[in-house]
Amino acid sequence: MRFGAGLWCLQSTATAPRHPARAYDELLEDAVVMERLGFDALWLSQHHFFYDGYCPSTVTAAAGALAATERLTVATGMSLASMRDPQRLGEECAALDARSGGRFELGLGLGYRDVEFDGKGVPRKERVGRRKDAMRAVKAAAPDVPIWLGSALPEAVARAGAHGHGVLFSGANPLTLVRDLAAAHREGFEGSDRGGERPRVAALRNVWVTDDPAERRAVMDWFRASYVLYAGLGWSVPKRGETAAMDFTREVDKALEDAVSTAIVGSADEVTEGLQEVIDAGVDELVFRIVIEGAPQPAVHEVLHRLALEVMPQLREREGVAA
Amino acid sequence: MRLGLVLRPGEEAGDARAAEEGACALVAVATDRGGAFPAAAAVAVATRHVRIVVPVHLGADHPVTLAEDVAVLDNLSGGRAVALVDTGDLDAAAAAEDLALLRAALRARPVRHQGERWRVPAGIEGHEAPEAVEVTPKPVQVSVPLWLTGAVAPAVGPAAGVVVLAGGGVAADPTADVQPALLDVGGSEATLDADRDAVVALADAGATHTLLRAPDPTVAAPLVARFLIPEVGMTGFPRVVAETMLPPAWPGPARYVGGPEDRGAWRDGEVGA
Repeated sequence: MRFGAGLWCLQSTATAPRHPARAYDELLEDAVVMERLGFDALWLSQHHFFYDGYCPSTVTAAAGALAATERLTVATGMSLASMRDPQRLGEECAALDARSGGRFELGLGLGYRDVEFDGKGVPRKERVGRRKDAMRAVKAAAPDVPIWLGSALPEAVARAGAHGHGVLFSGANPLTLVRDLAAAHREGFEGSDRGGERPRVAALRNVWVTDDPAERRAVMDWFRASYVLYAGLGWSVPKRGETAAMDFTREVDKALEDAVSTAIVGSADEVTEGLQEVIDAGVDELVFRIVIEGAPQPAVHEVLHRLALEVMPQLREREGVAA
Repeated sequence: MRLGLVLRPGEEAGDARAAEEGACALVAVATDRGGAFPAAAAVAVATRHVRIVVPVHLGADHPVTLAEDVAVLDNLSGGRAVALVDTGDLDAAAAAEDLALLRAALRARPVRHQGERWRVPAGIEGHEAPEAVEVTPKPVQVSVPLWLTGAVAPAVGPAAGVVVLAGGGVAADPTADVQPALLDVGGSEATLDADRDAVVALADAGATHTLLRAPDPTVAAPLVARFLIPEVGMTGFPRVVAETMLPPAWPGPARYVGGPEDRGAWRDGEVGA
């Protein structure tokens, strides 16, 4: 079991303003704190042309976090691969891999915002082919860098498994969907005759450890608010089988409630139980979604401490017993 | 004139720390292409004050993407990025267009560009696509310095109003506000006299910022600090100040380790758990 946290987006928002450079200082500070606490991975995220400075260069931000640490893995969930020159991305991954001693991992996302494709002159319909080009270039230049893909579609997740790639699931996915996707990924891998180690299944989850009713209310409010961002970005998840659609563009209120209903908030024991259910759904790596804009840095550090000292040891112990 | 050191590929963080301790005003990443921004980011984390010159290779990517990388480095470094734009394999017309779009994308204005090579926005996606895009985050600096180098730089720079890196056959312009230069030096005690003459000659020619490329910047840095920076720090520098035999070094730690804002301090255990 690996434990990570995310998503560092390096924003300065309308509702939680800070000097834009302060966001990068906090990234470095947070990375050091996470490493000291024994976390395995810090996850970054990428967008282009958003008013709040949402980080457009995960390569550069990752290089900073890697340079500030010695053991921590820095991963991107996701980098928008279709909008960067593939050969250059491959060279950058090789450089990050070499500089960090193998601590960089690359998530390759397709992107979904028209304004980003249009700004970069990339036809949206080419995004799948361009991601393949990026993957090929990265594998050629930096064969040791693990590649992560993200999708909420079972067939796409199965393909990722068949090709030996890890998958990272959205924190908004209900547990039923996580279970189906994890199974699809496992089946895809096992049906592929690839052999070797099974690529990992990682899941972002909205998590907060607190015994204070006021903080509990605050964190639920801010989880809800954090998904308003996705309404602004125009993100949506289509309906699949038993899983309802999550449309942040047309049904904002419903999508927000659905996303927030996945949150695991409470005492250390309550959070441990909730996360155990996620692990039992077939998840190998938990990525705690604790970077929410309303939470000031001391609160984020406090929850990182509590996760590391009160929750992760319980989950590791159970894993040992199960094994 | 202010002096800096060119960093060795793979040794950037250590070299940059030596340069900063050696009173250098700037350091330059020499790793090109995909290694450039990872190296520059490592330098940003390893130092606090030096300006960080990062090579930006035109033709390697969309100019807007290159601008985003520069802007993120500028934020990560607290406003210390300098873009050394290399025209690469582009011809003069192509380099001029890419340079213009790169500059536009680093300004605090919406970007709209209609050229031979690029259209921003492209007008290919979305029914309500905006007529311009705002490239974010904005740089921390009022304006990120752009210096030009490469085969067609002398043909492109003056017309664009972008200064061309002097050295290697390119003369310094003594009327420019900022005139960067690149100079190969021996960077050792044995070459000190020759290095001093070369640096003084560049200062006389009108360079304002010179990047010294020495075989080992950690060897060169203390010599730069003691002999070269003072030499060009005032007219008629009295060399006796640098060349006199000093008393032994002060006992105890060489430097005060500052408060929590000092990255060196929190890396050594002041903040965190």
